[in-house]
Amino acid sequence: MTEKPIKAAGICKTYKGFLGSSATVLHDISLEIEEGEIFGLLGPNGSGKTTLISIFSTLIFPERGSLSILGMDARRHNKEIRKFINISTAKPNFPWSLTVRENLRYYGMLYGLHGSALSRTVEDQMDAFELGEFRDMKFENLSTGLKQRLSLAKAMLNQPRLLFLDEPTTGLDPDISIKTRMLIKRIHQEQNISVVLSTHYMPEAEMLCDRIAFLRKGRIVAMDTPRNLKRHLGLGERIVVTYEGSVDIAALQGLPGVLAIKSERDRLEIVIDRVEDSLDRIVKLFCAARILNITVREPDLEDVFLELAR
Amino acid sequence: MNWQGELNKYLASAYKNWLISRRNVFTLFELFFWPMISLLSIGLLTRFLKVDSSMVSFLLVGAIALTILQVAQIDVAYVLLFDMWSKSIKNTFIAPINSYHLVFGAMLFGILRGSVVFFILAMVSRYLFGFNFQDGGLLPLLIFLAGVFSTAAVIGITVCISILTFGQKADVAAWSLSGMILLISGIYYPVEVLPQLLQTLARAIPLTYFLEYYRSVFIPGPHNLAIGVFLAVFYLVLGLILLDGAIERARRTGILLRLSE
Ligand SMILES: Nc1ncnc2c1ncn2[C@@H]1O[C@H](COP(=O)(O)OP(=O)(O)O)[C@@H](O)[C@H]1O
Ligand SMILES: [Mg+2]
Repeated sequence: MTEKPIKAAGICKTYKGFLGSSATVLHDISLEIEEGEIFGLLGPNGSGKTTLISIFSTLIFPERGSLSILGMDARRHNKEIRKFINISTAKPNFPWSLTVRENLRYYGMLYGLHGSALSRTVEDQMDAFELGEFRDMKFENLSTGLKQRLSLAKAMLNQPRLLFLDEPTTGLDPDISIKTRMLIKRIHQEQNISVVLSTHYMPEAEMLCDRIAFLRKGRIVAMDTPRNLKRHLGLGERIVVTYEGSVDIAALQGLPGVLAIKSERDRLEIVIDRVEDSLDRIVKLFCAARILNITVREPDLEDVFLELAR
Repeated sequence: MNWQGELNKYLASAYKNWLISRRNVFTLFELFFWPMISLLSIGLLTRFLKVDSSMVSFLLVGAIALTILQVAQIDVAYVLLFDMWSKSIKNTFIAPINSYHLVFGAMLFGILRGSVVFFILAMVSRYLFGFNFQDGGLLPLLIFLAGVFSTAAVIGITVCISILTFGQKADVAAWSLSGMILLISGIYYPVEVLPQLLQTLARAIPLTYFLEYYRSVFIPGPHNLAIGVFLAVFYLVLGLILLDGAIERARRTGILLRLSE
């Protein structure tokens, strides 16, 4: 296929209330997604991630802008497009009283699977997402992590060419999140499909995505590879050192992997690419001073947006 | 897509409704308790009023029609209601299906449930109240049931349209449609007893014609089946077109997302 999975230009979305109120939640979104890439939509709650994913997946239509999905017009050919895409929604929900297996069968049927192909696909997906031992458990009794896995399995039933994952790890325990990320990586590698995923968690976007768009209040404020974004926006891990005495800030700035430095009277904030590589060298530059405290923290979105808002 | 795959898109809703209602205690009430109450209360009323056998058949036909209408309409409405209650509506509307896949699949299951209820009620009216549905012959019975089921489907589609247009609470308004039908389509009395305005309305409801047709098998009287069939088909087609429009509109307004929150 030569056509891009997603080509969007000037997308706007306004939700209208019953009483004539209206809220524009997406402004002039333009982007293109390349075949086979994992594209991340990163932004805080309410920034429009779900709305944008819903538009890309033809669940809802934008008021303005042009949108082509897999080379087809998203409005005119929305039914045709749906054969080739799928979604795992945020906080996945399925009919409560259906078991894992029944849910997969039901959605498989909606995709036109039948007979032995249906049974085989359902079994394959249960294997792929390690749902076999929970096959007869009702949806309402599944843990959040299992619900998420069922949702991913459902999203793969029609072997989509373009997959949407809306906050696939939000609300999961850290270890389950890690497992889910590995699953996503694996699906992507094995099936070689294009993926659009949303998250409000920077390290997740960094681990999974080839490119990231930052959404803020319905606008894309930056879009690039994670590496470039970190470089340009100072988005590495932050080492905050409080100390007494003097430190050679110029030398710090010269260290490889150091992206930015903010210095106050007795406090230095150093943004670096990777902690393991540079921490040791940084600390050694403090030998003439007395270190009172060191904290290392991952960049949070607030920092990013403060940065971007400048 | 081959025909089996296409068929499965229809059967999916029937499969889902079947699984859900199989595990739902409330199903027993829907299929046995309420139908039995309504049949017994009308049957006993005919005894109390000491009406003749033709009047018994008139009332029992009405009571049974109303009961299976209500059972079957719920099934069509359930196709969206279950999705809404379980907040899984996005997963349905991301699939490559049309409104008629959902409606016909659900209707199929509604017909199945309605037929079970009909069978039970027909037995009860035969042994307790001496009215035998078989006396009218099989074909009139099938035509009558088809009329009831298609009216049920139209009501179910109307419920779906209101939900997609006005949101979750709207199903209440649509349910009252079956109350309207009870009042004006001649369930317990001929439509001639209604005021003129309501009579005109009654003439717009397909069920009115099917009731008159089926009753004429037992008590000779005027009827016009052709109009009933025409109206039933007309409303079904119109309903499906409007439902498609409502889905399209729900995608534009974003209510489709609201319904899954
Ligand atoms: N169906 C809807 N109707 C009206 N407003 C909505 C709807 N869905 C989302 N919104 C509003 O649109 C904004 C963006 O929401 P959303 O796309 O869900 O963001 P995110 O997924 O990034 O949290 C929020 O202010 C939210 O309140
Ligand atoms: Mg969201």
